[in-house]
Amino acid sequence: MTRSRFWRPGPAAYSAGEAPLTGPRLRPRGPRWRRPRRAPQPRRVAVAGALLIAALGAIAVLAPSVLPGSPTAIAKDLALRAPTVNEPFGMDDLGRSVLSRVIHAYRVSLGVALGSVALALAIGAPLGLVAGYAEGWPDQLIMRPLDVIMAFPAVLLAIALMSVFGTGVVLVSIALAVVYTPVIARVVRAAVLATKVEVYVDGARALGATTWRLVLGHILPNALTPILVQASVLMAIAILVEAALSFLGVGVRPPTPSLGLMLADGRGFMLQAPWMVVFPGLATMLAVLGFNMMADGLRDWLDPNRA
Amino acid sequence: MSSPWAYIARRLLLAVPLLLGMSVLVFGLMRLIPGDPAVAVLGYKATPEATRALREAFHLDEPLPTQYLRWLSGVARGDFGIDFRQNEPIGRMILDRLPVTAELTLLAALCATVVGVPLGLLGGARRGGATDRASLVLGLVGISIPDFWLGIMLILLVSLGAGLLPSSGFVAFAESPIENLLHLVLPSITLALSRSAVLGRLTRAAVLDTARRGFVQYARAKGLAERAVLFRHVLPNAAIPIVTVLGLQIGYMLSGAIVVETIFTLPGLGRMTLDAVLERNYPVVQSTLLVIGALFMLVNLATDILYGVIDPRARQR
Repeated sequence: MTRSRFWRPGPAAYSAGEAPLTGPRLRPRGPRWRRPRRAPQPRRVAVAGALLIAALGAIAVLAPSVLPGSPTAIAKDLALRAPTVNEPFGMDDLGRSVLSRVIHAYRVSLGVALGSVALALAIGAPLGLVAGYAEGWPDQLIMRPLDVIMAFPAVLLAIALMSVFGTGVVLVSIALAVVYTPVIARVVRAAVLATKVEVYVDGARALGATTWRLVLGHILPNALTPILVQASVLMAIAILVEAALSFLGVGVRPPTPSLGLMLADGRGFMLQAPWMVVFPGLATMLAVLGFNMMADGLRDWLDPNRA
Repeated sequence: MSSPWAYIARRLLLAVPLLLGMSVLVFGLMRLIPGDPAVAVLGYKATPEATRALREAFHLDEPLPTQYLRWLSGVARGDFGIDFRQNEPIGRMILDRLPVTAELTLLAALCATVVGVPLGLLGGARRGGATDRASLVLGLVGISIPDFWLGIMLILLVSLGAGLLPSSGFVAFAESPIENLLHLVLPSITLALSRSAVLGRLTRAAVLDTARRGFVQYARAKGLAERAVLFRHVLPNAAIPIVTVLGLQIGYMLSGAIVVETIFTLPGLGRMTLDAVLERNYPVVQSTLLVIGALFMLVNLATDILYGVIDPRARQR
């Protein structure tokens, strides 16, 4: 039978139990790199992402006490010095070590990501749980105001909040938590709605489980997958938004090293000292990539229907 | 609920309380700002007379509900009030800036679709192949690139390095269409890249999801060419989620425009909002927030309605 060059589903295009009507070639032809292969194992992607984040986190926590350079020590004679073996990321316009600043900025980035998502989980998860379990008027009472928050684009709302409450690391985290709370609440609510109709929940109810036990012991653990995936996605976005806010001048305040602030500073010197913009940007991307890999991997690993 | 009109009417009705909620949120947020707005504008050296005049001119002494209703009724008539600093009507300012942002967003949406959808289609149609693996990696990297960094890199490499395209400024389309487009190439690419990655990933997932369905197996079983299976059966069914996500992405681009307009110094709505935030020009912030929020909501509403019209099953919910 003739097969189009264009639409050639590999063997993995079918889930188990659905036999493909066009079978795989018996002997694969063509160069090795073109042959269809199985997609990368989701578990490996998730673990790789988690390892990347763990490594960056470890560097952020440990390196400042190991590295000699200070992120804020100004040395005019070293200003705009190109990367060397000792200072692989070069020096900025005030002679501060870009590497040291990037590492310190990771503390801010990862701290804001963890802090904002943790806060949003602490507020949004109970709200979503109640809304999803109770339905009816408590659901309306909780979800409609959250819809209003969600009706604004996230970055815009974060900028507005920062303009009202001022700048700084803690305020960035709080602003992001406000933006994220409705997202978390929606995900939790949807997961609870889907889980509470499962037979095992009916079973537990029939056995006389209290509402608390039902929600915390049976519904929540089984609704955990989408919540975990969403939390990693939100952490990736938090790193991007924190950097964007700081870049725009409404995020972290200047002496604190932040990836966005470093990019904003570097813009003025990008021709003389491109390392001032290249490395903070790459560093941001690496952290975001780690969280995105974790989210992708977790989603496909824990939800076999999707992969 | 089988008629599309009933569905459309229901969605439109739902939008009204949402818009009111947004206006309350925006208004309330601006009143939470610590300190006296009159002092914020005039500075601490202002005479009491000047402060009083400003408070009167902007009705700052009235009770909050009265202020809110006054503002809301003005907005409903298209009158956003007067700006604190330049004494210009805010509505006029918004109308001047809106076309820039709209053009940027539409160009970026076009870029994102033209790149993202075919890439996802190729990947999904030949799962596990070299194209698929390359597009998976590109997609993951694409959603992880900070757009402000991408913009800076493009300026550095394309404008300053190779001297190919302008790195900043804006020329009106009416003045010179070619110059206008040249000035928007880099900003559109910057805004579009991560969005095209999102679209590509989604298209791939939608194609794979549809390819599993029984009707695709049936089409193949009755002997249709694979190309026909893809374009006649898989693509139309995969298009529904793709359209939805495209709509959402256009909405997000409206806020991404703040960053892009700042990097490329484009006189758009986003830049106007940020400038107003930085110079604490609250009447302007309040109005642009509401306008961008309302646009975002309208795009989502249009997507919802389109979704319901394409796919009758969606009207049930």
